[in-house]
Amino acid sequence: MSNNYFNTLALREQLEQLGQCRFMHLDEFDDGVAALKGKKLVVIGCGAQGLNQGLNLRDSGLDVSYTLRDAAIAEQRQSWKNATENGFTVGTYDELIPSADVVLNLTPDKQHTSVVNAVMPLMKKGACLAYSHGFNIVEEGMKIRDDITVIMVAPKCPGSEVRAEYVRGFGVPTLIAVHADNDPQGDGLALAKAYAVGTGGHKAGVLMSSFVAEVKSDLMGEQTILCGMLQTGSLLCFDKMVAEGIDPGYASKLIQFGWETVTEALKYGGVTNMMDRLSNPAKLKAFDLAEELKVIMRPLYNKHQDDIMTGTFSQTMMADWANDDQELLGWRADTAETAFEKTPAGDVEISEQEYFDNGILMVAMVKAGVELAFETMTAAGIIADSAYYESLHETPLIANTIARKKLFEMNSTISDTAEYGCYLYNHACVPLLADFMTRINTDVIGAGLDLEDHGVDNVRLIEVNEAIRSHPVEAIGAELRGYMSDMKKIV
Amino acid sequence: MSDSPLVQLSDLTVDFDGRFTCREVNWAIESDQHWLICGANGSGKSAMAAIIAGFGHVESGAMDIVPERVGLVSFEAQAELIEAERRKDDADILDVISEGTPVSEIIAATCVDPELADRLTFEFGLDGLLDRAFRKLSTGESRKVMLIRALTSDPQLLVLDEPFAGLDSRSSAALGRHLVDVAETVPIVIVLNRVDQRPDFITHVGLVVDGRLSEQIEVTDTAALGEVMQLVHLQASDLDVPPPDPDSKLPDLVPGEPLVRLTSAAIRYGETVIFEDLNWTISPGEHWQVSGPNGSGKTALLSLITGDHPQCYVNDLVVFGFQRGSGESIWQIKQFIGYVSTALQWEYTVGISLRNVIISGFYDSIGLYNKYTDRQREIAHEWLAVLGMQDRADQRFGEQSYGDQRLLLIARAMVKHPPLLILDEPCLGLDEVNRQKVLALVEIICGGSETTVLYVSHDTADRIRGMDHNLMLGDSLRSA
Repeated sequence: MSNNYFNTLALREQLEQLGQCRFMHLDEFDDGVAALKGKKLVVIGCGAQGLNQGLNLRDSGLDVSYTLRDAAIAEQRQSWKNATENGFTVGTYDELIPSADVVLNLTPDKQHTSVVNAVMPLMKKGACLAYSHGFNIVEEGMKIRDDITVIMVAPKCPGSEVRAEYVRGFGVPTLIAVHADNDPQGDGLALAKAYAVGTGGHKAGVLMSSFVAEVKSDLMGEQTILCGMLQTGSLLCFDKMVAEGIDPGYASKLIQFGWETVTEALKYGGVTNMMDRLSNPAKLKAFDLAEELKVIMRPLYNKHQDDIMTGTFSQTMMADWANDDQELLGWRADTAETAFEKTPAGDVEISEQEYFDNGILMVAMVKAGVELAFETMTAAGIIADSAYYESLHETPLIANTIARKKLFEMNSTISDTAEYGCYLYNHACVPLLADFMTRINTDVIGAGLDLEDHGVDNVRLIEVNEAIRSHPVEAIGAELRGYMSDMKKIV
Repeated sequence: MSDSPLVQLSDLTVDFDGRFTCREVNWAIESDQHWLICGANGSGKSAMAAIIAGFGHVESGAMDIVPERVGLVSFEAQAELIEAERRKDDADILDVISEGTPVSEIIAATCVDPELADRLTFEFGLDGLLDRAFRKLSTGESRKVMLIRALTSDPQLLVLDEPFAGLDSRSSAALGRHLVDVAETVPIVIVLNRVDQRPDFITHVGLVVDGRLSEQIEVTDTAALGEVMQLVHLQASDLDVPPPDPDSKLPDLVPGEPLVRLTSAAIRYGETVIFEDLNWTISPGEHWQVSGPNGSGKTALLSLITGDHPQCYVNDLVVFGFQRGSGESIWQIKQFIGYVSTALQWEYTVGISLRNVIISGFYDSIGLYNKYTDRQREIAHEWLAVLGMQDRADQRFGEQSYGDQRLLLIARAMVKHPPLLILDEPCLGLDEVNRQKVLALVEIICGGSETTVLYVSHDTADRIRGMDHNLMLGDSLRSA
């Protein structure tokens, strides 16, 4: 059935597409939404991305309507309610697709093949098909009719954030791409830029990339540091604390809100700032733990990246699709039964600083995961800008979902593709860290260092600070956050 | 220290010749207290002070004033003495030109401490004027005489209404020094519009609003004191609305066209109808008050106008010349609107400075994402000065009190001088002082700009001056 597009490319072409990534300047968006003005935009799917992108595009003065599968309309499913209650025209594929100038496919990855096969024959000649994720094109090798322009506009945030930031007058960082095989009129880039403006993305920064680079980096990030590492870290840290006699309510709260708190520091000032929030002795401890974790986990990160590059990952997942998601649903049920998920956060006060002081191991896990994901991606030919967005940049966004309703919320917010990859990682990583965890005590998770003397060796501290600050993710991070803050809050 | 208060007013209502009434005053002054009474012009703060000097007609309630000798200095008392002098002149039957009573006699008439009288006369620079007729003195000079009379009559309680008004700086300083000594033994009540100029010995502050003593606080309660100082500042009559930014002018609207026109408007959620068949036109200069019970759709109606409600695209709605859903962007609409609501305050969770919160009003953004001009920065500072927050430009928005956040958001809404200002329950959740602050600011805005105001309240009794049109939402609008 599927024919992996990436694997059909010559190495030269693979490298070229993987290496595409450029931070665009605000003045490249001076035309605004003009390229889409007066055109009929028809969105397929009305979930979180579909609805919120549509609301933004309409508020930007564009003509937006929704098309859903016949059953969704007949049964007035949630997607139908989402669209109609927001005052959008809703119609069947037959009713809306033939007149559409741009068809925005915002359904889950799993449905892409059937959706695209259904709409493609209905699309008018010379129309545009837009995606927000390139899985269908790159991993499944979907061939789109030659006269159709194929673009991607991928906001790097959950749908609710896409809307919330637009309403504030800002936007979320967005990745755009034109599928080189499908740009018959040469206007793909103009359409993608106008689409990004319509969702507000241009204000927060746009990366021009390729379908290939987006897919290969997006999959890697979400499986490892973003979701996998946070899930594994949550489960291991919780069980450890409870085994060592820490109050389960406290342990549950420290983890549920700890990821959000420590990665907030990451968002503002990278790994450097996150580490700087620790006391000097704690920082040295976290650094050593992270170094140890990186050695243990590096083969796993490499394996994930390799499986993504070769298409092994997508094949495995598509086999599960064909098997009615048996693995995915089983793993989801297992996660719900873990002690961490089942123990509510206790009614204890934990100050912002305490999350750092008592969560040294969590900080170490974030540092190790971010750096490993970044190193692995760039070693595989993905440009540093892209690797930064798919690792460090998104970590706080995912951590926020855990703060809301633990792993359940994280796994329901992310795509099924990300969730599947997250479980894969978790199943490999938990046993991998078993031995490491036996050497862990509450001084680095749960209780904080118990020191009479907070002194550290100057030479050692300088070495460690230098190592943290000179990591390549810090250099590109500082540059990209600089662009962001040029445009964002001038505080 | 005595067991019972020197002055005890209980549920006291006092009428002043039908011109003014102080109502339901509950106030106790202990012998070791010194009070500052403040309030807006016309609030009745002078009347409040005059009550304890025995003026006005008690309509109801109880009043117990222990001191027999109350020294009073006020413009009214000063005018009365001058008038008495003039009548004496008129009554003179001798066909000679009367010189009137000399200053020395006026002072001596009530003086029990000649030595002090001499010293004050010297310090006030009146020593050359002792032989001058009292009624020939300038206002400032006669005020000094009043002060000397009050201070030298061995008062058991001093009531001083704006005692520093009209005094030169040398006399002011002398009076200030002397009051510090007097305060050691005599309780003092001072009426003053500038709370920040209160003498150090003041122990309590009373705020008068509409003839009522609405707040009584101890000066050691610095948080409450700050609130009152800010309110008094906002109620001062000399505040102007800062000008718009000449470089970010809004597009011109067609003269005479309505700002908003809704035709048969409706909002429905599934089967539930919030309202329907609503026709409403807002013309420039028509200030509207929208009322109705909770759930009647007030906020939903406003959000149709602001474009925040998605059903604005399925209603027949023209705003600022744009038929909604004809290809306009939401920012083209929002540029004409200033908007304040509790919901906005909840959403405004951006950690930026007060200056930038106000500047964000130029860009209709929550948070600030644009480079701003020096002129916009200056205008923001002018607004902060109006709010009495000029020293806080670099503080974070989230660290401000709830009431101050509301004031800042009103200033943010007004900074671009929008044709339409929408205030959705601007006083909701505020205590009395902060409610007064918001109302004072809104009155400054209504009086000082061309903006049309839309004021929404669930309480029909909660009105703002100048609201000349009413829209009542409720069951009557919901047809079956």
